[in-house]
Amino acid sequence: MNPEAPRLGRATAAFALSASIAILFNTLLACVKDAVPQLSRFMNALAGHNWTTQGLADVTLFFALGLVLMKTGLPQEVTPRKLISFLTASVVLASIGLASWYALF
Amino acid sequence: MNIGMSDVTLLGHAVFGIAGTLAALWVFVEALNAREENASRIRKSAAAAAISMCAACVLGGYWYLSFYPAEKAIVLRGPWPLAHTLFMETKEHLFFLTLILALYLPVAAAERLYANPAARAMVLCVALSIVVTGIVIEGAGAIIDHSVKIALLGSR
Repeated sequence: MNPEAPRLGRATAAFALSASIAILFNTLLACVKDAVPQLSRFMNALAGHNWTTQGLADVTLFFALGLVLMKTGLPQEVTPRKLISFLTASVVLASIGLASWYALF
Repeated sequence: MNIGMSDVTLLGHAVFGIAGTLAALWVFVEALNAREENASRIRKSAAAAAISMCAACVLGGYWYLSFYPAEKAIVLRGPWPLAHTLFMETKEHLFFLTLILALYLPVAAAERLYANPAARAMVLCVALSIVVTGIVIEGAGAIIDHSVKIALLGSR
């Protein structure tokens, strides 16, 4: 990595990575809870409705993982271009994945 | 005119959703021309996007859990059951994606965008993603709303 190249701040890089992971996790959880009724029932029991549990899990993952990654400083070693590409790819994949899942299953 | 809690919650949800999308669009346009002078405006718009999306989530979530089951039954019996099985299901889960991006936007916008092209590119990417997914979600909401209308009109 070129030391002169512009870098993202510690928090920006860490939370970009955690946002990408939380976005992919959200799509995966939406599909798995549909395919596994026991998981959906468990999520219903946790917060009253599986949708509420999923939202809380997503937001908690985003903040908790972001804070952990920020502490390690590792995401700053990744080039900004790769972080932006990963976030964009996560958004596109997660969106298409959700729509395809509900269209096909 | 009889305006119930369901109406206030649902319309509030849509209003905050649009406000969050517009705030993200504002961030995008300002970030295209990021300067020291508009840095504060970018941060305030990013915060407005995050707050609006949180409000849209709380109101939408409350309406979805409290009032939607009755409408869902109407939609599933009507001519457009896909409005629930595809559009509502996708919308309610896609929204979390928009919410996460909206929560991240103020973090990225806190950087000195006028001096850091990488941070500016990140803010542009996140803001644009919020705008696109926000429009898709609003569109899905309109389809669900219309499906209830045609189901009720068809049953008359």
